[in-house]
Amino acid sequence: MSFIKKFVERETINRRQFLLASMAGVGTLAASGLVPSPALAAGGPTVAWSYRNRTNPYWNAIVSGGARFVESLGMSGDDLVHLLNEGSSEKSLADVKALLSKTGGNLALGIDTNDAPNARPVVEAVQAAGGHVVTIWNKTEDLHPWDFGDNYVAHISWSDTKPAETVANILIDAMGGSGGIVGLGGIPSNNPAIERRQGLDNAMAANGNTELLDYQAADWDTQKAAEIMSSYLTRFGDEIKGVFCANDTMAFGAIEALRAEGLAGQVPVVGYDGTAQAAEFIKSGEMQGTVYTDPPWAGGIACSLAYHAAIGTFKPSDEPKGHREFFGPALVVSKSDVDQFVAQHIDGSPDVDWQDFWGPTTPAA
Amino acid sequence: MKALLSRDSLLKWAPVLVLLVLMLTFPIFEMLNDLARGKEHLYLLDSRFLSVRNFARIAIAAAPALMVALGVTFIIIMGSIDLSMEGTVSVSAVSFAYAFIALGGTLASWAWLAMPLALVVGAAIGMLNGLVHVKLKIPSFMASLAMGFVGTGFALLLTGGERVRVDDPIFRSLLTVRWFNFPIMIYVAGAFLLLMWFVQTRTTLGRNFYAVGGGEELAAASGLNVSRVRILGFTLAGVCYAMGGLLAVGKIGIAETVTGANFMFVSITAVVVGGTALWGGIGGVFNTLIGVLIVFVINNGMVVIGLPSYIQSAVLGALVILAVVLSTDRKAISFVK
Repeated sequence: MSFIKKFVERETINRRQFLLASMAGVGTLAASGLVPSPALAAGGPTVAWSYRNRTNPYWNAIVSGGARFVESLGMSGDDLVHLLNEGSSEKSLADVKALLSKTGGNLALGIDTNDAPNARPVVEAVQAAGGHVVTIWNKTEDLHPWDFGDNYVAHISWSDTKPAETVANILIDAMGGSGGIVGLGGIPSNNPAIERRQGLDNAMAANGNTELLDYQAADWDTQKAAEIMSSYLTRFGDEIKGVFCANDTMAFGAIEALRAEGLAGQVPVVGYDGTAQAAEFIKSGEMQGTVYTDPPWAGGIACSLAYHAAIGTFKPSDEPKGHREFFGPALVVSKSDVDQFVAQHIDGSPDVDWQDFWGPTTPAA
Repeated sequence: MKALLSRDSLLKWAPVLVLLVLMLTFPIFEMLNDLARGKEHLYLLDSRFLSVRNFARIAIAAAPALMVALGVTFIIIMGSIDLSMEGTVSVSAVSFAYAFIALGGTLASWAWLAMPLALVVGAAIGMLNGLVHVKLKIPSFMASLAMGFVGTGFALLLTGGERVRVDDPIFRSLLTVRWFNFPIMIYVAGAFLLLMWFVQTRTTLGRNFYAVGGGEELAAASGLNVSRVRILGFTLAGVCYAMGGLLAVGKIGIAETVTGANFMFVSITAVVVGGTALWGGIGGVFNTLIGVLIVFVINNGMVVIGLPSYIQSAVLGALVILAVVLSTDRKAISFVK
């Protein structure tokens, strides 16, 4: 799930940002300024998602959920307004302010504020204009929805430690319970990278027969993961009995490095994020497990919470804190349940009751 | 012997010496690691780093970057710079993947046409890049940087942010089938290197690159159509980038918007480390081969000796500066821009 932060970090140091940001500026203008929104005409709140960019399947999945929620209101999925921050917190805030003034505060917003400190000004701007906002992933520890009345509806994040531990146990089982493990981690400062590593450490601490040979950051990147994996093969050779990857895209790199040596499918590999390709690899036996965090659900429920708070279906300040800050779902996928997972979440999109706000969640507060 | 040790030839061979020193240095750390773990280790003989299998791994990692670096070599020899590689690689890779799947999805069908198509796409972007640079008189730095952004944006438009998987076993044999311990893609890369060497040394165009880089005014005054040479240079570079894109897809079986990511740093670093001067007129494709090998030997070696990842970039940066220092003739230049 933390596809997110990976991209977040990596693309921040990327100059291509520049152009894309200016292109997105034009796009946002078109989306929010020039095209009249039927929702506005009907008097309901405008529904919007503010997020990083569209180069990443994760964000595409998030906003696909937002579009499905908008469709459930009887509108077209295109009526969901997209604000792309392209890795700029300033742009993120400026776009939100522009949309708030355009809609007169009649706004239901789902947002990843790009970095944690930016969450506060965004939330304050939404509250000042009388809009409703749900944040995901980024916010500082001292910022809480319940300090903002009804306007800051909720914050959604994911706790990766426990699911990572479960998937690490799948790996250790596939290794026959003992042997050397190599790890490929995300960008070291990213929260998901830290939590997933913690999950692996917990699983290994509970199993004394395993040894962590090395754990290096491959920055969520497929090609870098392939290079580090092949260097691991040089360094450790047959000692490698299992590969733990902090996300699926790095697992793909590790698998290709193994494939080059004719080892794909012989050395167990696990990932995280529950991508379609990971499911295929699990079916073919080249991967043993991954964790799905249901981004379409999160993208849709964020819009739904903000929307229903805006039209008065429920009053956020009457809800317990666990309904204001909560963890999204995490579904561990392995060989035994991969077919069912694909049928439900990859090929089909499960019917979601968008007013069952907290069904699959666990309280974070 | 005297000629061999002259200042000129030392400078000329400095990149090779750097590479050799690196290849002898990493096994020392490897030996120390093993001895510390209580294993027996005879220097060089027991080195896993200096094994054929590891050379194949380094070669696989380096092959796509070598293609890209070859392209930018010619541009740098002309005294220009090309920063469009990331966008061009992505667009070529994604175009290839889509065409490949649309035309049948296996090399045993008409889908093989996707490969020349990708090269044509690369050439077209490169030519456009050259035209923007020459006709609109925009410095190559800015023109190509912008073109790279356009390319990345276009690749994003094509994919919508999704990954395209190319899993045809025949195409993937580039990686999975080995002749004499090395996958087929290494031979493809080698053949392409020889082709570029031919262009550099045996064609008018190749010699004109040096003429433009050595003294553009002089070349123009001698009747050389410099604009044409530049546009052809960028077109050729585009073909090289597309080739890099093809090998990158061959390597990991996925084409996506970020397929081209990181190629800019690696390729330009490799060219400069190999001894091709950024001010033009000096260097060539074999310098680039050595440069690419230096960069990837460092990357591979650092993991093999177990250097923590947070130190690796710092070490890479320091080694790059060292390599450039050793291979630059500071007496021959009065100032550096």
